[in-house]
Amino acid sequence: MVKPSGTTTGKSDGATLTKAETGAGEHSFQWLNVVFMGLLAAVMIIPFLNVLAVAFSSRLTSLETGIKLWPSEWSVDGFTTVWINIGLQQAFINSVIVTTIGTTLHVLLSAFAAYVLIQRNLPGKRLLIAFIIATMAIPGELIMIPLFIVNKNLGLLNTLAALVFSGLVSGFSILLLRNYFQSVPYDLWESAKIDGAGDFHVFRTIYLPLSQAGLATIALFELVGRWNQFLPVILYISDSSKYTLQVALQALVSPEMATSGTSMITPNVQMAGIVIAVLPLIILYPFMQKYFVQGITLGSVKE
Amino acid sequence: MRSTLRQMSMHRALYLMIIPVIAYFAVFVYYPLYEGIIASFQKFNLLGNRPWIGWENYSTAWNDPAFWQVVRNTLLIGGGILILGFLPPIVIALSLNELRLSIFKKFTQTAVYLPHLFSWVVIGGIWIYLLSPRGGLVNEILALFGADPVRFLTNSTWARATMILVPIWKDMGYAAIIYLASITAINPSLYEAARIDGASRFQQAYQITLPLLKPTMKVVLMLNVLGLLRIFDQIYVMRNPVVQRKIDVLMTFVYDKGIQQYNVGYASAISVMVLLATLALTAVVWRVTGFGREG
Repeated sequence: MVKPSGTTTGKSDGATLTKAETGAGEHSFQWLNVVFMGLLAAVMIIPFLNVLAVAFSSRLTSLETGIKLWPSEWSVDGFTTVWINIGLQQAFINSVIVTTIGTTLHVLLSAFAAYVLIQRNLPGKRLLIAFIIATMAIPGELIMIPLFIVNKNLGLLNTLAALVFSGLVSGFSILLLRNYFQSVPYDLWESAKIDGAGDFHVFRTIYLPLSQAGLATIALFELVGRWNQFLPVILYISDSSKYTLQVALQALVSPEMATSGTSMITPNVQMAGIVIAVLPLIILYPFMQKYFVQGITLGSVKE
Repeated sequence: MRSTLRQMSMHRALYLMIIPVIAYFAVFVYYPLYEGIIASFQKFNLLGNRPWIGWENYSTAWNDPAFWQVVRNTLLIGGGILILGFLPPIVIALSLNELRLSIFKKFTQTAVYLPHLFSWVVIGGIWIYLLSPRGGLVNEILALFGADPVRFLTNSTWARATMILVPIWKDMGYAAIIYLASITAINPSLYEAARIDGASRFQQAYQITLPLLKPTMKVVLMLNVLGLLRIFDQIYVMRNPVVQRKIDVLMTFVYDKGIQQYNVGYASAISVMVLLATLALTAVVWRVTGFGREG
């Protein structure tokens, strides 16, 4: 039996191999590849090990030189300092608020729009689609100055609302959800309509439940994007009590800080801040892995 | 006409669902775009009146050496990321695909992908620390080989190289996953046939996998070109006054001019130029790669 290898995902160690694949050349190829991938994994992981080791070091040992991949003196001083004395707590709470409200509204509004765009006999649908797709050609960075003015005129500067409004809905999410909605059989829509159901009812009882994978995909993209949101925060927020985690952390890890060794901000404090900033994403990762890969490939193909 | 109106009233719920989205895009995308174009022709310092000055902001940029410096930096750093970052994801995807032990494969895949998930503040913060001349991991490792500490972020040449290499490190796993998904979708019987004909593994990769990855390469290239002129976060987070002149890019320049120095008209003019340049660049890549024609 010839078993195709190197192509399918469900490839196991016990696969029957062809002659070419059991030869000595093949054997050394496999070994070389494993070594190469091991080195790659190390290049990716060691920086994070270093961060963890320093974050859990005591103040003094974090200032020592040397390669640190394990704390020589365990301590959670860095965490308590950054959380309480430096006040990352408030920034963390702000980030949680903006991320949850922003993501919820984003998913809801995108789903509304996506539902409208799958209607077959809607006057003006083509125009709507063009209106939405064209927004994807205008990246937020390139209109940051007028966006600042708009937020200023609307009285949104220095409010968390400005951050929620930033990226409240996106053409990308709408089109991605539209793809999912299109795979729901149109017969379902028709029979519900014949039964006299309103559009909102059809949307809620048929489309939302049948498109959970799509909703989860954009929700997770949005959660990560909003947690990491940076430019809108430095644009609209100047009052440090309204800072989100990323911006509060930026002040902590900026190069000027990194070179001054005398302040309260020692490396263990900085690295503890980084650990706190990535922790929610690490906790989410196992849940989102499936949808993420799906979303990435779908998004890249459909664009 | 009448039937259109009747249809519209029939679809009232639908219009209610889409109105917030339209209103949002109108206020937070289209109006700012319009406002930005208008402001680029005005002398506008955020307060006071905004006299029309024609193309003056554009000619100021043309004669501003600082502007040309950030254009050069952007092309060097963005172009460097584009070119040097092209191959690693493909090599990683091919290698990952050959791994037999699925648990190791999954682990490596996660490890490569992880940094893409984190913000530039986190990644920048980590590398500022790792590259520090005093006790930073990279210099400690160099010291093992007897090398002197390198001032990665305060020497302008090294800082530029860092601005190219760190984003490649951060994002190569993302592109690798896109490639890996495409490789997985290739019909296995192609490899089977090639193997029966006695093709080696490298021949298979070169003759089958790489040609079939071409459409994916175009997609990834497109995505990267779109981002090239928009680099901001990584520079903002990792820059410092010593090397700022050599690594500041167009978007940090716009931010500094418009938000820090209230020179809104000038910053808007540069934004408009970058927008046009991005559209032009996209069109060029679109044509050159034949993207969208045969997929």
